[in-house]
Amino acid sequence: MSAWRLRVKLRSATGLLVSTRPTQRHTSPYGPLTLCRSLSTGSHLRNEFFKDLEAQLAAFRKKAADALPGSSWSPLQINPNLPPERADIVIVGGGVLGWSIAYWLKQKEMVRGGVRVLVVEKDPTYSQASTVLSAGGIRQQFSLLENIHLSLASADFMRNINEHLGVLNEDPVDLQFNQSGYLFLASEEVAHIMEENYSTQRYAGAKVSLLSPTQLKQKFPWLNTDGVVLASYGLENEGWFDPWTLLNAFRRKAISMGVIQCCGEVTGLLPPSDTKTEKLNILTKKPRVQMPNSLEYQPVECAIVVNAAGAFSGKLTEMLGIGSGPKDSIAGIPLPVEPRKRYVYVVHCPDGPGLDSPFLIDYSGVYFRREGLGGNYIAGVSPEEAEEPDTSNLEVDYQFFEEKVWPCLAHRVPAFEKLKVTSAWAGFYDYNTFDQNGIIGIHPLINNMYLATGFSGHGLQHSPAVGRAVAELILDGNFKTIDLSNFSFRRILTQEPMLEINIV
Amino acid sequence: MLKIIIPTIMLIPLTWLSKNSMIWINTTTHSLVITLISLPLLNQFNDNSLNLSTMYFSDSLSTPLLMLTMWLLPLMIIASQFHLIKESPTRKKLYITMLISLQIFLVMTFTATELIMFYILFEATLVPTLIIITRWGGQTERLNAGLYFLFYTLVGSLPLLIALIHLQNSTGSLNMLLAQYWSEPLKTSWSDTILWLACMMAFMVKMPLYGLHLWLPKAHVEAPIAGSMVLAAILLKLGGYGMLRITTMLTPITSFMAYPFLMLSLWGMIMTSSICLRQTDLKSLIAYSSVSHMALVIVAVLIQTPWSFMGATALMIAHGLTSSMLFCLANSNYERTHSRTMILARGLQTMLPLMAAWWLLASLTNLALPPSINLIGELFVVMSTFSWSSISIILMGINIVITALYSLYMLIMTQRGKQTHHINNLPPSYTRENTLMTMHLLPLLLLSINPKIILGTLY
Repeated sequence: MSAWRLRVKLRSATGLLVSTRPTQRHTSPYGPLTLCRSLSTGSHLRNEFFKDLEAQLAAFRKKAADALPGSSWSPLQINPNLPPERADIVIVGGGVLGWSIAYWLKQKEMVRGGVRVLVVEKDPTYSQASTVLSAGGIRQQFSLLENIHLSLASADFMRNINEHLGVLNEDPVDLQFNQSGYLFLASEEVAHIMEENYSTQRYAGAKVSLLSPTQLKQKFPWLNTDGVVLASYGLENEGWFDPWTLLNAFRRKAISMGVIQCCGEVTGLLPPSDTKTEKLNILTKKPRVQMPNSLEYQPVECAIVVNAAGAFSGKLTEMLGIGSGPKDSIAGIPLPVEPRKRYVYVVHCPDGPGLDSPFLIDYSGVYFRREGLGGNYIAGVSPEEAEEPDTSNLEVDYQFFEEKVWPCLAHRVPAFEKLKVTSAWAGFYDYNTFDQNGIIGIHPLINNMYLATGFSGHGLQHSPAVGRAVAELILDGNFKTIDLSNFSFRRILTQEPMLEINIV
Repeated sequence: MLKIIIPTIMLIPLTWLSKNSMIWINTTTHSLVITLISLPLLNQFNDNSLNLSTMYFSDSLSTPLLMLTMWLLPLMIIASQFHLIKESPTRKKLYITMLISLQIFLVMTFTATELIMFYILFEATLVPTLIIITRWGGQTERLNAGLYFLFYTLVGSLPLLIALIHLQNSTGSLNMLLAQYWSEPLKTSWSDTILWLACMMAFMVKMPLYGLHLWLPKAHVEAPIAGSMVLAAILLKLGGYGMLRITTMLTPITSFMAYPFLMLSLWGMIMTSSICLRQTDLKSLIAYSSVSHMALVIVAVLIQTPWSFMGATALMIAHGLTSSMLFCLANSNYERTHSRTMILARGLQTMLPLMAAWWLLASLTNLALPPSINLIGELFVVMSTFSWSSISIILMGINIVITALYSLYMLIMTQRGKQTHHINNLPPSYTRENTLMTMHLLPLLLLSINPKIILGTLY
């Protein structure tokens, strides 16, 4: 004890000379002797050992609890975002069509867990996906019977969407389906086409009506009927809706039914190396899914690949050599789907057409529709073949609006002379360069790749019905509800286009 | 017996020292030759066993199982050729070594005289099987499957070790031939009851009994083809064989101790057959059908009548061949379409007609069509169970009907109907696959001419 006190005194003496002394003396009420205070700057070694032991024991206990079955810890730290090694059906492309097919596949399997479906989407933000950048319209005013049936079935699906896509304990789906109808305006030269289409549409069951210019003027006083000879107005099941909501509804429901989602890009489709890959015997066995921003990839062994990659479907089939064969063979015919950029301009016009304005499409090709309730409208036009914009990015050309869209718009609707462009965006069409209609069915050379692409702007509105058709093709063997065999790849081999006889 | 065991052990150097192009040929032919060597064992005395040495013996119960084991090795090697193509030669040789070591252990198990040797080799068979499942299986779930397989069997058989050691201490010998005469009847005390349970649980887990069957669908589905074949054909029969051997020492309390297991088996066979009707995965369906058939064997062994023992042994051999054949057929499907889901590969009859013929024959034997040995086994079991208790015929009858239902369901789903679009260009059946099916089918059909070979000791 006395030695202690001596040492303490010594310390404090030297403390006078060395002023920077970080240690403080704690005085206890019972005097300086009773407190066991260490004299070093660090903490006592013995205490430290026990404290460390406590922490180590806690860590050990946590590790042991993790290693018990039922926890997700594993000694092999694998990337949890990797797709599974094996799936039955891999859907390449997580747009509305991909998720619609996934949903219908799960809907049609007879037993829970019947088919293992994997949806691979390369961009979870959907920044370049055609689905969310679409104007979101749905119409039955086509000339091909199949298209009309698809639209009718899809509209019916969307009207009862909560019956189909409602998930228990989650919010109901609100598509904001404005059934304001489409209004096609025809000039003198194309009026007869409109009349023929009208009879086809009525035959198929679409609720369309023809209007004369006087009737038009009565119904839509803001419209300038100059040059308009006939108009076709959809009374029911036509209008526009929110594509993002539809995509998410499909996705939510499909995931709740057990579809596996993977964020990655398919960078290769491996045919099996053991079979001799003669050109007539390609079987895609293992799509290679590459993780974003990394070199890591996972080959997924699967029985069927569904190509729902939209604007980028052509690239997928190129990976298998389709299109690079000799020119007069089937392998030399590429999938004729390529991205085409389309601009959509949002304009604000307070004196505009108002709440009853339909989705108006003029015979010059210019269209507009109401967006929301605040006097905003969406407008655009399909550019001429020769003036297709560059598809390497999604930048908007406002000059295009000034030159091509505004004059026609202002001519047709005088109120639009005073408008302001608030914003604009651009999206890709998965443009079928052959006949601008979808390609649905199996590719003749690739035995297990189903195609569901090339809809050239009307993929979104047909997505529920096409999803069902593809699911029927896969699980039942042939189309059951709507016969889409005219949309198969055969027509491209035989060079028989299924063109829409439109007025635009 | 050494004339079989030593050549089987020497198959291992054969594998490792073969040229890379000759691995498959060498191992297949030599294992077939070993099968031929074991044929003389079939010359069995009616009421006694062939005592080949102090360590090995064979009698009319173990001989058919032994023949099945040895017949299966070349078949497993033939079946594994396709999925090992892309592996390096060392890996291939390692795989075949696993199969051969499993074969060695199985041969020694079926011919062991001492029960302790039987036990040690019974446990030893787990190791190569585990390696085959977890290393060469298909999906990530195989790790789980291996875990389930290992621990179910291990935990079930540890009490058996203790029981065997106790029996060694009390009776002085665990020689199976002597134990029949030296064993004392068990009393109805707690300790003897627990002794009975300890002896039987290992084999119940292996069979598997309905409540302890969870490891089987996992292990069968995740294992590669050779693993599935050996699991279904032989390893399940280890349980049956063990039960048949050890029940001689466990009288007379078996008459009431067996009730819970009898009830579980009788109910379990209907349950697992019904589950088969709802399966989408082909291999899973065949795995559950194995559980159902083995439940019949458990019932037969536990009621312990001469007819039931004959039925049990016949059913074990018949089911071994049929189940192995079904797994090979499912594998041929899987190799072509890369999916085990049944609805994705339909209408195969038009594509591969000969394979459809094998599918038909396998499904027909699976549903115990007369005059196959499957029917003989099932019929003997049903008859003896009926004589044990009349009500059980209802359950057995329902099981037979549901077995027929799911076998035909599997056949129709995969073979008949309009084919799916994406199987247009399947490669046709290889000669190797057709050989494999023939080699499964030939013993099955020929045995129906002379089934007394497989009817066991009480014929």
